[in-house]
Amino acid sequence: MSGHNGHDPHEISTAALDIDDLTVAYNSKPAIWDIDLRVPEGVLMAIIGPNGAGKSTLIKAALKLIPRAAGTVQFCGQPYEQVRSLVGYVPQRGSVDWDFPTSVIDVVTMGLYAKLGWFRRPGRQERMLALHALEQVGMQDFAERQISQLSGGQQQRTFLARALVQDARIYLMDEPFAAVDAVTERAIITILHELRARGKTVVVVHHDLQTAKEYFDWVTLLNVEVVASGPLAETFTPKNLRQTYGGRVAYLYDDQSAPATGEE
Amino acid sequence: MPKLPAEDRHRASFEQRRIQRFWLLIGITALVAALFVPFSQIFLHVEYDYTLRTVALGGALLGVVSGVLGCFAVLRHQSLLGDALSHAALPGVALAFLLAGRDLGLLLIGAGLTSWLGVHFIRMVTNTTRIKQDAAMGIVLAAWFAAGIALLVYIQARPDASQAGLDTFIFGQAAAIVERDVQLIAVVGAASFITLGLFWKEFKLITFDAEFAGANGFRVNILSMILSTLIVVAIVLGLQLAGVILMVGMLIASGIAARQWTDKLGQMIILSAVFGAFSGSAGAIVSAVDADIPTGPLIVVVAFLLVVISLCFAPGRGLVWTLLRRHSDRRRFAAQTILHDLYHYAMDHGAPATPGETLGERASRPHLGSAVPEAFLVGVRGATARVGLRQLSARGQVQQRGDAWLLTPAGIEAATKDDHNHQLWAVYRQYSDELALPMVAEDRQQDIRNFLPGEAVEKLERQL
Amino acid sequence: MFQLERLIVQFLLNFVAREDLNAFLRNPQYTATLVGSLIAVSGALLGTFLLLRGMSLTSDAISHTVLLGIVVAFMLMSSILGQKPDLSSVWLIIGAAAAGVATVILTELIYRSGLVKQDAALGLAFPLLFALAVIIVSRFVDDVHLDEDAVMVGEIGVAWANTNSHCLVQAERTADGAHRAKPEYSCDSVTITPNDPRAEFTRQCVNCRRLGISPRDKEAEFTEICANCGDYSPAQAWQAGFTQKEPLLVFWPKSITVMAVMTLLTTIVVVLFYKELKLSTFDPTLAAALGFHPTLLHYGLMVMVSLVAVGAFDAVGSILVVAFFIIPPAAAYLLTDRLPRMLVYSSLIGAAGAYLGYDLARGNLLGLAQISDILAGLNDLFGLDLIEKWDSSISASMVLMIFFFFLAAWIFSPKYGLVSTMIRRSNQRRSFDHQVVLGHIHRHQGRVAESDEVTASTLHRHFRWSPTKMQRVLRQLRARNLVQTEADLVSLTARGETHARMFRQTQLTTETGGE
Repeated sequence: MSGHNGHDPHEISTAALDIDDLTVAYNSKPAIWDIDLRVPEGVLMAIIGPNGAGKSTLIKAALKLIPRAAGTVQFCGQPYEQVRSLVGYVPQRGSVDWDFPTSVIDVVTMGLYAKLGWFRRPGRQERMLALHALEQVGMQDFAERQISQLSGGQQQRTFLARALVQDARIYLMDEPFAAVDAVTERAIITILHELRARGKTVVVVHHDLQTAKEYFDWVTLLNVEVVASGPLAETFTPKNLRQTYGGRVAYLYDDQSAPATGEE
Repeated sequence: MPKLPAEDRHRASFEQRRIQRFWLLIGITALVAALFVPFSQIFLHVEYDYTLRTVALGGALLGVVSGVLGCFAVLRHQSLLGDALSHAALPGVALAFLLAGRDLGLLLIGAGLTSWLGVHFIRMVTNTTRIKQDAAMGIVLAAWFAAGIALLVYIQARPDASQAGLDTFIFGQAAAIVERDVQLIAVVGAASFITLGLFWKEFKLITFDAEFAGANGFRVNILSMILSTLIVVAIVLGLQLAGVILMVGMLIASGIAARQWTDKLGQMIILSAVFGAFSGSAGAIVSAVDADIPTGPLIVVVAFLLVVISLCFAPGRGLVWTLLRRHSDRRRFAAQTILHDLYHYAMDHGAPATPGETLGERASRPHLGSAVPEAFLVGVRGATARVGLRQLSARGQVQQRGDAWLLTPAGIEAATKDDHNHQLWAVYRQYSDELALPMVAEDRQQDIRNFLPGEAVEKLERQL
Repeated sequence: MFQLERLIVQFLLNFVAREDLNAFLRNPQYTATLVGSLIAVSGALLGTFLLLRGMSLTSDAISHTVLLGIVVAFMLMSSILGQKPDLSSVWLIIGAAAAGVATVILTELIYRSGLVKQDAALGLAFPLLFALAVIIVSRFVDDVHLDEDAVMVGEIGVAWANTNSHCLVQAERTADGAHRAKPEYSCDSVTITPNDPRAEFTRQCVNCRRLGISPRDKEAEFTEICANCGDYSPAQAWQAGFTQKEPLLVFWPKSITVMAVMTLLTTIVVVLFYKELKLSTFDPTLAAALGFHPTLLHYGLMVMVSLVAVGAFDAVGSILVVAFFIIPPAAAYLLTDRLPRMLVYSSLIGAAGAYLGYDLARGNLLGLAQISDILAGLNDLFGLDLIEKWDSSISASMVLMIFFFFLAAWIFSPKYGLVSTMIRRSNQRRSFDHQVVLGHIHRHQGRVAESDEVTASTLHRHFRWSPTKMQRVLRQLRARNLVQTEADLVSLTARGETHARMFRQTQLTTETGGE
């Protein structure tokens, strides 16, 4: 099914996502500052940091949704414009109006619009692909449901299916776990693990320190600058966390029952 | 092709019913529109001569154009932008008249140009200052309109009568529409529909999720500008009929009405076109017959009536159905709660003592043959409780014994079933993941069998 | 109202002579400017809060729908009293205020149904109410002050002509400053009864209409009726020649009183509830928690907007008044951050616009040029056939002048203007570029990969800058003694080191944890 799973010999050495000296500023205040980041292929990575640390900004700047002040971003060694089809994006759930008159399967099909090109309409084949993606997220029974009737978790799964249908190599997800029920959270993480097992790279903006250790194998700690980035065991240390969140996080990290930091 | 489970087949037939409903609605609207003609001939003494036919046709066409493109204004949350832009068209009309005279095509081009300038002014102000979009729209609305008025007053000082009818652009006057105008409307409208058809999926995508569209490489800015331009075209065409002040009503009302009847963008647009045609032609005919009344207000009133009908009666979403549903939900809830209360009270307290039985034995033996005093019903009280009891006795599930109530055998059966259903839901909540059951929204008031396929319920039964 | 006017007139006569006052009020420009300024001040005071609450377009909606209130009250009063009420009648004002509140409530109702978005709800509610008003006006109301044209532009240009006359017995100031009564002037109203010698009689046929005959028919019966009986105000009596003594009259335009009352009311409300309005505008939740009833304030504000809109209706029509609510506060918003100053600035902008707008309507473009000259020039240049006399709507011109002030504020505001922003941006961009480079070198200095990351000739690639830009930035940094280059390797000076560290500490901190 996927044409991207076989690795080219010379591509093995290139990172899935390679960010170099990326800076983004709103007015004159830097939102993210001189980011250097290499994400190897096949990892499941969380971007973690406090509110206003620029987590979403980093993803959006990588996708050129907001202008960059400086820096380069490469996906699989290529600039984004040339490898758009290799990248799947899951925006924040709250960024759209869920009362839009359309059905679940229609939203998922939107993931294929870019491949279709100008003027071509989605047909039977696209519908099949979309149904398949819905099945992967356990939503096949909801295909014809109006999107305003979905619960928050179902909305998030729909968005996930829309990215899955693109059959990308790298997935960027903005807060997929924000305000979803426990069942959905588990379902999503299962899908993310499946993706990793298939050799995909997944980058997730995450805000919950408690579950980060459990879910991910690679972590980037971000607070305007990259504090640390690498395999979970090396990166997710109290020292790094304190540097990211300030003093109070030691308490958060040591005491499992403490509430997680606020959501963005 | 994934196998369709029973659930999905059920949905598919539901889907079919919805499509049937959609065509039924279009049929009804067409019928009403068709009946309107003899009705107006008999009761309003309208004569459908050539002029009136032209006016009606023009009104219908304009209604279609603004109905279709208005849907996008509504869905993009830009209803009030329509208001600002229609006001902003006035100076264009006046300027074009000053420079080129009374030619509808040129007047509309002028209107389009100033209106389009208005769009950009709003965008520039919101991009470069901290002024929000609503205030920026207000500025354009007032300032452009003032410029238009200043020019119109200046023009009216002309000695010749050529300016006559220019102020119909303010409130709209259908009687001014002649055959050439209808042709122009048809051509421009067709061109904008073709554009809409070509960029259909792109427009849909940027309207729903512009960010995702941007990440997928669509030129969101350009597409959004094309769409805005189409909306400007609809506004400018409609000015003659509805006038600059009330154009916003004509632009958005039919879209809002249509949205209530369907959940599909394509259907919404077709319906909106039908509604627009109806209100456009009805308003045009009435005002052409009674020349005192400008067309714009009439169209707005007709369109608003359609909105009110839609908001109240649209199946599923309509307020009337919502109220009825809420009412019946409350009744069902009352009945269920009382049944539950009676059952449990009887289980706990009801058994008469038999000789030699310990208190514990007696309590564990369910006995449902004794009546429960009304005061002991704790789940619901007062009027709600009476409603519930009335329902239960109508179903033959309870009997009244003075002040107390007794479960009949049918009531016991229903209560047992209900209790079982509750337990299944409880098991579902606990084990749905473990048993790999499909995910559904939990609603304990409903029979779980309506939500889950048979084998899933069997799995749950085994867990009990 | 009439009594109030009298008080104002008597008060003013303490300072100016009657002739001067009459001359002033009779001057169309002065009266128009005065009325316009009053509208501008009250509009600006309320509009500022509307702008900050993100409700600017609600004022648009309300100013449209007060027409319905006016029309309905007008119809009711005509049928009950059997006479056409004055547009400044209190009942009309109450009707208009009710219509304004009705708009807000109707919008809320539509929105609360959960089926329609907020903007669409407003876009449905006010066109409907306005449409009903226009239908009633065009179909059932026959009055010069209440037709479709009045709805649009008002009659501020003839505000001076629509007056109440006030007769004053004694208030005449003489050269020595003392008041003295002038017995030769009277302020008596005159009543002519049929017994009065001045009464004039005419014959009228009493049965002509009933029998359908002409007065010349011999069966016609006649009765004598008094043609000029009735009550005469002093002014009317003087005009009709019933009194020989000339009354001392001041002709006071009605619009001034209405707008003055509205402005006074607005000012009082804004001053009295200043802190409540401010708090509920910036933090409605806190305001509610402190017991300030934001909903009540909200509706109070809407009532005030309706009152000002109806007061201004007569003068500028129901659409152009929106400009007085929205544009001056928007301009002031670009000039200052402080609420009290915003209120003052927007009032001033509105008033200045009203004053200059009158000139513009008469063809004087800010005293710089005459529009007629421009039109003549256009005619010469392009061979057009434009009338060279410019005489346009005064209210529309006032709005255009206010808009002109907005444009000026937008371009030249020292803080938020386009020009200053552009200058500041380019300065910021330069210092930002400097910081980017300093930070980069600071981070990579002394690491293994240094040679690649901080080589002058390759540095630009990391930022995706052009080599020229990189060279320029490095040159500027060297000039500021922040970096040094040795054999193509860039490094920070001690000064640059401090600079970079300072920046990291001050600029890159975010509020962390626990919010």
